[in-house]
Amino acid sequence: MACEMACGYHRDDGFALLSSCIMVTRGREKKDYSAVVVKEEENLVIARPEGLERRKLGSTGESNQGKGKEDASAKPLLLREPCDLCSDRQDGPLCLQFCPVNAISMG
Amino acid sequence: MEYLSSNKIAIIDLGTSKIVHEKLDEDLVRKKIGGVGITCELYERYQKEDPIILGTGLLTGTLVPASALGMITAKNPSTGKVCHAPLTLYAGMELKYSGFDYIVIKGNAPKPMYLWVHDGIADILDAKEIWGKDVWEATDSIRDSMGDALIQVLGIGKAGESGSDFAQVCINYWASGDRWGFGKLFGQKKLKLVALRGMSLLEIADPEEFVRECKELLSTIKNGSFAGKQGIGELSAAIGEDIRKWLEPIIHRHLSCFNTPFPTNTFVFLDEDPKLLKESEKNEPGFLITDIYGLLGFKKLGLSAAESSTLLRECARVGIDAVAIAELSQKAGKTKPEEIKKSFADLKGPLENLAKGTFSPWASPRPIFADFALPPDGSQNLNWWDRRQAMAYIFGIHPIFALMSPELTEEKLTELATIGTGLDFTSETLDQVVRNIIK
Repeated sequence: MACEMACGYHRDDGFALLSSCIMVTRGREKKDYSAVVVKEEENLVIARPEGLERRKLGSTGESNQGKGKEDASAKPLLLREPCDLCSDRQDGPLCLQFCPVNAISMG
Repeated sequence: MEYLSSNKIAIIDLGTSKIVHEKLDEDLVRKKIGGVGITCELYERYQKEDPIILGTGLLTGTLVPASALGMITAKNPSTGKVCHAPLTLYAGMELKYSGFDYIVIKGNAPKPMYLWVHDGIADILDAKEIWGKDVWEATDSIRDSMGDALIQVLGIGKAGESGSDFAQVCINYWASGDRWGFGKLFGQKKLKLVALRGMSLLEIADPEEFVRECKELLSTIKNGSFAGKQGIGELSAAIGEDIRKWLEPIIHRHLSCFNTPFPTNTFVFLDEDPKLLKESEKNEPGFLITDIYGLLGFKKLGLSAAESSTLLRECARVGIDAVAIAELSQKAGKTKPEEIKKSFADLKGPLENLAKGTFSPWASPRPIFADFALPPDGSQNLNWWDRRQAMAYIFGIHPIFALMSPELTEEKLTELATIGTGLDFTSETLDQVVRNIIK
């Protein structure tokens, strides 16, 4: 979530979650299951506990490897600007710098 | 109030269904800073109407490390004392972005109601569909009907509806740090729950400087004495009740509250393989342990980790404080999970461990992992703890994390508040606010 706030700051110069291009899905709270999703220019990068998936924007998730329905809480991400890796910042992506538990890395 | 604020307070009268919006007066912030500094002020203003005040700290929901905290300030229905309960996980953050800095709930509703607070709008809605449901069912019902799984719910179960002294206001499906019976107060007001969701934008007086300072602070904090540790097990070891081996077989993952570097919560799987990485096909495979003392209470009855966690889950469904249930079960000689579960409604009596202070004892009364340079005989622990909690509840810092991070100094938080708001806060102002709160 701090990553979302940091990304939102990069976009809006204030604190908000509305324009962040990274999101931690939290719609499956009772199952303790979440993923980190990043919107790229043409793909969604989805980091799940069991592994990483890069999916073309516009493709549906329901048929994907039998994983079931996608987390609806990530839907707003599709309407947002893609990640620019905080290209105007010397120290690189803010989401990496502000993740309090070091959950994000860049390969 | 221009910065780090929605500049709005909602005054909600459940008796008349009237809602008034007030601006958050900048002079009030200058004098009281935020969090419990202001919830106490609002409580005094409306105390004749037995209000419940929801609030956030001045720095809640920002990039300040551990800025996760919101709070409920109200009168403990059993003792009559004004107390504060912590709102952690994502509830404090969501309240901050709901479009209101503070919410005053006064009066008693003529019939069951709930509040829907979102994007600067507060609505009082009929709760006839959810009154009588347990905490889990009510949370599911609200999220399903609004079509938004990220809504944060502060709600009560049957314990609150029936006026139990130990009724708790839960956060979504989980126990909270409400050790004051605020769930009973919700029930007396016929308030089933408060649903929160927000998309606000908080502006910052000096954004680049504020974010630079936050980044520097986080870098320092990450190397603190908690580094490499996580979860309820480590917390237990730090307070001298090591349950790590006992709990380990059922641990699924650990979970941090918003922007908090140490995960103070542990999810256990009870009906599923804890090692499972992919999504469980079961809808309710386990429970998120958010309160170490409830777990320790059940362990003392001789129960296994799975039995204890299952009882914690039952307590959260009913919306009752597990710490009280464990203590009263012990006194009543009940040690079997089934008989404890069946006796929730009947367990009564004074608690030996009844919280006596202003801040919830959900946060352990001592430093955790870290060295705060206190005398080794413990003589200063309580004064230190009160002040440390006051600081956390004013600025909106996670109250347990505040006990493990000496880097989060009063000076640093005051400086961040000044940079973020453009108001000139001083250590004298903070000192005055703290003294008023813990007097």
